[in-house]
Amino acid sequence: MAKYSARTVAVCGFLLVSGFGSVAMAADAGAGKSVFQGSCSICHSAQPGQDKIGPTLFGLVGRKTGAEPGYNYSPANQGANLTWDVATLDKYLQGPRAMIPGTKMTFAGVKDDEKRANLIAYLATLK
Amino acid sequence: MYLRSSKFFAAAALAAASWMLPAGLAMAQPTPAAERHLIPQSLRISQIETTEQLAILAKKKGPVGAAAARVQSLYSAHIVREREFILPPLTLLPLLADGKVTPDMAWAMAMTDRVKAEREEIFNEHTRITEALNRLVVAAAEARDNTAKEFAESAAADSLNDLEVLEPTLMLIGDILHSKLSAAH
Repeated sequence: MAKYSARTVAVCGFLLVSGFGSVAMAADAGAGKSVFQGSCSICHSAQPGQDKIGPTLFGLVGRKTGAEPGYNYSPANQGANLTWDVATLDKYLQGPRAMIPGTKMTFAGVKDDEKRANLIAYLATLK
Repeated sequence: MYLRSSKFFAAAALAAASWMLPAGLAMAQPTPAAERHLIPQSLRISQIETTEQLAILAKKKGPVGAAAARVQSLYSAHIVREREFILPPLTLLPLLADGKVTPDMAWAMAMTDRVKAEREEIFNEHTRITEALNRLVVAAAEARDNTAKEFAESAAADSLNDLEVLEPTLMLIGDILHSKLSAAH
């Protein structure tokens, strides 16, 4: 029988409530942290209030686009008027420039569905 | 992408932007031909320093060296394009900031036009470089190599500086030249 951490179970619960059931069953926040470190950490912090090249991702889920205080967003992100939830993150992280043309985020995206789901699961823990 | 002061380009953008606001066309002495198609010396030095630092890092054994070699490959290709058409128009900034535009500055318009046309490709280049720098940071962190880590983080910030400040500055330079030189004819 597979063993899941309390964090993974909690995140799966969040994702299920968010209408992201199929991905939620596979989401692993621990694996997502590795994706974060390997793909995001040069630009983003997971700590509250610590903006780097990009804004902190602490508290990202539930936040409006372009809303982290003190971070200078691109006009594209400021004007996107989206809320970062599982669905928007899933689409954005497949190709940021495809979803928000003009974003200054130099990131090609996470093409692998499982890795992307794990990353989102990790981001959901940052609160 | 080079290791350089963000203040430089912030000032440059301000100078270019402020020039667009007013006034008449001040006809200055022609730009010395010998200075054409060079790049600002400060950026040239920064490119040389970055190239040297990457060469040192790429010689390291293990994951840090491999990751640095990947950055080195991407960066080498990038600066060829920077020297070819991205950076030379910036040499006009001091004159533009003084309100001077002369017909012999027209060479820069083709370059700024090309930057405008290739912005997406330039962005993708920066994306690939940032991705490679992230890998270098991860490798450096695992190897506890603070020099490599700090280099990569600084280089990533410079890469963003290109997109936030340098490219818009080039667009402003192009707009000024098109506007003033077209009006002069």
